Amino acid sequence: MSARRYATCGILAVAMALFLVAGAFAGNDRSGAAAANATSAAAAGKQDEPAQRIEGERRFRANCGRCHQAPHKFPPRMMATIIRHMRVRATITDEDMRLILQYMTQ
Amino acid sequence: MIALASLAGLLRRSRKSNSQERINRRWAAGRLFRAILPAGGYVVALALLANPAAGQDQTQELNFDNIKPVPVFTTGVGFISTFQGGTPHLGPLVSPVILAPLGRNWLIESRDTFESDLAPPPGGSGFKGVLKKEVDYLQIDYIANPYLTVTVGRFLAPFGIYNERLYPIWIRDLQSDPLILPIATGPSGAGTGAMLRGGFSLNPRVEVNYATYFSTLSTIKRLDSNRDAGFRAGLFLPGPRIEIGGSFQHLLQDDHSNAFGFHFEWQPASTSLDLRSEYARSHNGSGYWIEPAYRLANAPIWRHELRHVQMVARMQQFFMGTQVDGDLPGIDTNMFEFGLNYYFRDDIRFVSSYGRQFATGGNENIWTMGLTYRVALPMGHGDVQ
Repeated sequence: MSARRYATCGILAVAMALFLVAGAFAGNDRSGAAAANATSAAAAGKQDEPAQRIEGERRFRANCGRCHQAPHKFPPRMMATIIRHMRVRATITDEDMRLILQYMTQ
Repeated sequence: MIALASLAGLLRRSRKSNSQERINRRWAAGRLFRAILPAGGYVVALALLANPAAGQDQTQELNFDNIKPVPVFTTGVGFISTFQGGTPHLGPLVSPVILAPLGRNWLIESRDTFESDLAPPPGGSGFKGVLKKEVDYLQIDYIANPYLTVTVGRFLAPFGIYNERLYPIWIRDLQSDPLILPIATGPSGAGTGAMLRGGFSLNPRVEVNYATYFSTLSTIKRLDSNRDAGFRAGLFLPGPRIEIGGSFQHLLQDDHSNAFGFHFEWQPASTSLDLRSEYARSHNGSGYWIEPAYRLANAPIWRHELRHVQMVARMQQFFMGTQVDGDLPGIDTNMFEFGLNYYFRDDIRFVSSYGRQFATGGNENIWTMGLTYRVALPMGHGDVQ
């Protein structure tokens, strides 16, 4: 591999990573607000558990159903591992992961 | 410009929140990675600079602090009999997966596949074949923050959606591989190196997911991979449940060719329809597949029985490129398949399909029939203590 191609690939990789990291942090404020909303929603959800369950099920159907049929529920500690695996495999968001885990362990 | 400005803000925040020694340690780690993986090192070093402390703050907000994940063993098992062009094939397959979580942010995961293609020898009787063993992936994942996961090791090539998401025998609705699957997925469908990936919400109506990777050349038996780099990005609209995305890969060996592809998925909430499709193109060829699957959940008659039934179809075309790849069809090929699956439970099902392949070298029928099963077990107490 020539030095020029090597350098080009390196620059491309750096540029791509910069874009992704910067883009992620550019959305940090918005996502922070979203997380705050989610937290307040979770607090409100204690008073309105059916609504929280419906939201969890909606996220579950939308995310998990993209690839496979809905599985039955697993024990909580097992589900925590599976949802971490699915976060990596299916690139589901942090908020979706939290709501799906809540729904699947209720 | 927005990205650069955001990066500047990120660096300012880092200076305020972290000591100089901490930054120095990360740069030292970056230098080490650059020494090990010349190109991929840049990517991993930058990932480490993505301020994991911020991610920990977010993680502590999650409401599963009292749920300690337990290692999980899960296996996909299947036995598929195929009649292709009048020749019977028997295909047993076992694909164990191990998931081992470490702490709050780490996960070690691996999947191996043991399978065989048993067929009658020419002029002989009985079925003979060899057992094929493959390490599909063996990777360490570090969830750096809500937007970024760093993966190192052997991983499934994130090109399109089929190889990474739909390949397992208990997930796929039709048991045959799409014709274009070998495009840009290398000799084994896996890469060996480093990957950055993640998903986050742009707003309540749009989610972004991405994966970018560098893979090094490996000629080790059962761990082979190409030297390449690429990325996949997708937009998911949770409302209509639509995902669209694209993939790109640059081969860093041989002819340094490029490959690209697009994918589309739609699962409308109002009905039990799954619509998936992919397009891929490289110098080895190009093609597409479209696969609708419909679960008869709301049939007007025999609802109790028909809700277990799923109808599937797949139409696909492959067009030869300028170079021949042994894993792709050697001639232009069209194929249509229709399948009928019956779910005894969500993890046990009977699968069957009929397909007709049209190629200039001759047409042939392909029948499949079999059972698939997925089992998942905790390696410890599954319930919260």
